Amino acid sequence: MDNKKIELMLLGFLLIVLLLQNVSGLGITPGRTTIDFKDGLEKEVEFSVLNNEHKNMQVLLMVQGELNQSVELFDNLVDFMPSEESKQFKYKIKLSSEISKNPGLHTAEIVAFEIPKQTEEGTYVGATLAVISQIYVYVPCPGKCIDAELNVLDAEQNSTITFIVPIINRGKLGIGDARALIDIYTGLNEKIGTIETDSLPIESGARTELSARWFADVNSGNYIAKVSVFYDGESKSFEKQFSIGKNMLSIESILVNEFNLGEIAKLRILIENKWNKELKDVFANLVVFNHENQVMADIKSATENIPSLSKTELVAYWDTIGVEEGEYDGKLIVKYEKKSADKNLLLKISENNLDITGVGYAIKGNQGKGIDLTMILLIIVIILLVVNLSWFVFFRRIMARKNKQKSL
Amino acid sequence: MKSGNKTIIILQMFFILIVSIILWFGYPKTDFELNGNAVNVKSINANAIIISENPDFSNPRYLDIENKKNLSFKLNPGIYYWKSANNFIKGFGKKFVINSEVGMKIEKDEETNKSDLMNTGNIKINITKSEEGVLVGSVILEPEEKQEIENVNEEYIGGQDG
Repeated sequence: MDNKKIELMLLGFLLIVLLLQNVSGLGITPGRTTIDFKDGLEKEVEFSVLNNEHKNMQVLLMVQGELNQSVELFDNLVDFMPSEESKQFKYKIKLSSEISKNPGLHTAEIVAFEIPKQTEEGTYVGATLAVISQIYVYVPCPGKCIDAELNVLDAEQNSTITFIVPIINRGKLGIGDARALIDIYTGLNEKIGTIETDSLPIESGARTELSARWFADVNSGNYIAKVSVFYDGESKSFEKQFSIGKNMLSIESILVNEFNLGEIAKLRILIENKWNKELKDVFANLVVFNHENQVMADIKSATENIPSLSKTELVAYWDTIGVEEGEYDGKLIVKYEKKSADKNLLLKISENNLDITGVGYAIKGNQGKGIDLTMILLIIVIILLVVNLSWFVFFRRIMARKNKQKSL
Repeated sequence: MKSGNKTIIILQMFFILIVSIILWFGYPKTDFELNGNAVNVKSINANAIIISENPDFSNPRYLDIENKKNLSFKLNPGIYYWKSANNFIKGFGKKFVINSEVGMKIEKDEETNKSDLMNTGNIKINITKSEEGVLVGSVILEPEEKQEIENVNEEYIGGQDG
């Protein structure tokens, strides 16, 4: 059987699979709009309803929630054609001084509800979907108050973990000095470390990030961070669970042997299980993007079980028919137990060669060594000021000397 | 105007011209494109992109584009600030916003008669399930996560979680 027949059969099979599936979908963006309260504030906000499945549908737009009287929608019932992937709408929000009496969060919701289609018998069949675009209005507290959370980055065993505490000043007054103390506990509530972040001022309504680093010379597993944020004599405490060594799997290498463009390439992906238990149903997913950033290949390996603390090779096949020589971006994702490890890749494809290299994307402090443009402009202004000042002093001295000579 | 003063003015203009030319050629230039939550950066003469969630560029991420002139990556929804840099100059900071997207789809396999509800947006969503106007349950789905559903006459309402 020649290649064309195989391709036609595959195409036919894909069509049958697509016809057998019945898909319905709905989306909305943005998922949330955050507004800082100002007395009498009146503004129009745009949002879009998404018809990702490109179908005929009718969508009902509604407002609900505490602030529903403050929000006015311009459209209520809208029709979508299959050619319309999204439609943009607006609502007007008008904030009254009433809510300023209650500092904190006030909300409303724009609900886009897909009107179900009736069957010939006049009944509705199947579930219906509705999506929400939230409106969050923050009324500042009279004094000093904050919203804070914790993000844990690079939480790997025997490496330096970065703790970031983003803080938003929700008060009317600025904060002169905010810092956080983070206590780290094991799952058995045993304290194993305390770290302190840097301290920073935060203007009213502004956001900043406090950070601290900690060397994790502890076992992989789950830990609890108890965070106390201190700001101008006040404090706020919260806690968050995080995992060290969450990347149970690491992608060690990707090998391609005997590559010929236009043929099926065999990719051998070496994976290491760093966890002390067997990981089941592990598979690799390589996604390659074309120059328009669209997915041009989505390849999956077979699933494997990887014994604890061992390495396994996953094999995936990529049909490179129609692929042109050049450089392409890619992403390798290894999925396991509802989690995943990924790596950004650069694929250099030539007639007889496929080079796959990793792309750096990390928090580092030693790159982009250049001087800030603002600093350069400041230096230029200072030089020009000095030159002009010298010129002015020089000119005044000559004038004074000439006046002296004249008076003599 | 005396010839000495003229010389100084000419020298200053020459100095400003030289500095402008140096800045023009030395300024780290990049093409920056935003498509959904995917960012595409094409370097002209920059070797790093600095991205932060704070306008003061605290805790920034440095993306190395010295060896790779065209870089694409995805970011979570939020407000970001970015600037390009090379070994001489760090450029001016600019702001961009990646909007959160709440999306769901129901996939029904006619062969097996099973249906899945999938989060097609770019954020974690909290979905409530109602039957005849009565709330009967809720589920939280991560992006691309799916859950089997009855798909009879129930209603699913999804909104951003957290």
